[in-house]
Amino acid sequence: MITIEHLKKTFRKNKVEAVKDVNLTIEDGEIYALLGPNGAGKTTTMRMISTLLTPTSGKIEYDHVPLEKDEENIRRRIAFLTNEIRLDGQFTPNELADYYGHLYEMSREQIVARRDQLFEYFGIKDFGNRRYETFSTGMKQKTSIAICLLHDPDTIIFDEPTNGLDILTQHLIEEYLVKLRSEGKCIILSTHILDLARRLADKVGIVVDGRSVFEGPMSELASSQNVETVEEAFLKLYKDNHEEQTIIGKNNK
Amino acid sequence: MHGLGTIFGHEMRKILKDKGLLLGFVLLPIISLALTVTMTFLQPKTNSEEEQDVEVYQMYFSGMQIGTYNIGTMDDHEIWVKPTSMKAEEFIKTSDFQKCDVLVDFSEVTDPVKKTDSPCVRIYYYEHNTISNYLKMSAESFVRDAFANLTKRDYEGVQFREIEFVDIKEKEDSNLLIAMLLPYMLVLPLTANISNFASDTVAGDKSRGTFYQVMLSPVKPLSLIMGKVLSVSVISLVSSMIYIGLDVVGSKIRKQLGTRDLFGFADVHITLVQVLLILAYTILLSYFFSNLGVLISLFCKDVSQAQTAQIPVTLICTVSALMSMFRFGVSPAIHYFIPVYNLCLIFQDLLNGRASLVNMLNVAVSLLILAVGVLIVTLLTYRSERVRA
Repeated sequence: MITIEHLKKTFRKNKVEAVKDVNLTIEDGEIYALLGPNGAGKTTTMRMISTLLTPTSGKIEYDHVPLEKDEENIRRRIAFLTNEIRLDGQFTPNELADYYGHLYEMSREQIVARRDQLFEYFGIKDFGNRRYETFSTGMKQKTSIAICLLHDPDTIIFDEPTNGLDILTQHLIEEYLVKLRSEGKCIILSTHILDLARRLADKVGIVVDGRSVFEGPMSELASSQNVETVEEAFLKLYKDNHEEQTIIGKNNK
Repeated sequence: MHGLGTIFGHEMRKILKDKGLLLGFVLLPIISLALTVTMTFLQPKTNSEEEQDVEVYQMYFSGMQIGTYNIGTMDDHEIWVKPTSMKAEEFIKTSDFQKCDVLVDFSEVTDPVKKTDSPCVRIYYYEHNTISNYLKMSAESFVRDAFANLTKRDYEGVQFREIEFVDIKEKEDSNLLIAMLLPYMLVLPLTANISNFASDTVAGDKSRGTFYQVMLSPVKPLSLIMGKVLSVSVISLVSSMIYIGLDVVGSKIRKQLGTRDLFGFADVHITLVQVLLILAYTILLSYFFSNLGVLISLFCKDVSQAQTAQIPVTLICTVSALMSMFRFGVSPAIHYFIPVYNLCLIFQDLLNGRASLVNMLNVAVSLLILAVGVLIVTLLTYRSERVRA
């Protein structure tokens, strides 16, 4: 379980307030969709959850343990995947599995067992000795996901996981997310594709201009805004909160 | 230091899988060796330009009382035996002693202070000068045949054990070329290689996205940074050592073939201690540069940006190496505190036999302090938003 309260991030260099006040609660065995338009602060939030960035203020807890108190162990439990992940092209998937497995202090037997299981699922077992750079985009993404999940993490953070993928690969990844949920994993999905969130997510959090503006079950999103569809609810939330920020900004001037 | 070995091994494999390396790593050194050896064939075995136009050839004697007299002629030149009261090592540096002359030094045999259990007579000559070479042989037979007669009057009972030949050319000029070139030969390939490897291993990984995957693993920052620094350091070191090694091999091949070197001062005579000391300083140098390369690359988004950012470092190092090539005599102590330049000086001093312990320590300690300082800055940079955002 991950609890995030009043998360704030201001970049020192350009003084940009990328995240102003984000509050999320993500349970185990749940797919949580973090929605928001481009530039809303989703990726910065994900980077803070995954330990890459340090928050300016606020709290991130994994199973009630503050992130900063046990960062190294928490890193053992998480996987952070983006659609931009590329691996070293001159290596084969088998070599990459060995490398990343050793970084997570897995034994040789653990690596081989887990690698076979994941490569089998994603259909790359027969290509284990072929160089990564020779793969198609879909194969590369599947290999990246398999390598990132090699250490069997409890928390999986996906940033736009299916962007640019063909429909078959998209379907395979979505199916795997459902499988991970059934195994009790905590899954955070950052996307601006509402349809993907509607299909997969149990709970949704919407971020607009760096602030949390909604959190609740996917099924309640539309009704909470007194509209009929999820799209309408998203647009209403965006307009209300984005305009509000703009008006505040104008008044401040 | 969990993960250090894993990262080091992975980075080494990654670099070695790069086919472009074949050119810089294997092909160029082999071409360099081939050129070194080939150039020696272009030179005649004689040394005509050094055979000066002198009226008489002289066979000097040091350390014994002897008169001045003519012992014959060669090529219409008279050969004279002459005494000198100067010490042999000093006399051979004077203008009186020509390249075609020889000096027979009896001081160890006749001087009670220098006397040893196995005294020997030394004949100083120039190996590459045909006249001096001939006089050397004449001097040898002269000493052997005339020794009893020469010594019975003034040095009764004195004996010598053997005759030792000292090639003055070899003694004076060996290592001159390599001492002049070594800083350049070491520093330039080292900085160029480190610039390439460090750019790829850090900035390249950042642009590919693989750097963040390792950052997200439980590996400690020090292990990650050290793994990358060491891999860059080792591979660059090996590359530089190949060049130096092949130059030494080239010189040995030339000697085996019996040809003289192109410049007349390119002979290499390196002792094991010199090799080990040069290696130790090169390890320090490559470690320092690798740290610097990784630090610079951390600030860059991709390989080309990192390589551009490292050009000033490469330039400074190249200029330092070039400056050291044109220094003459002993440098002031303060020069041994100038980073990079001081290493160039130490490389030269080690080969010229001029290295002092104080200077060697100054250079080693100052470089280590710098390397540790750069490592600390690298670790702080690694944790900064500039790298992680």
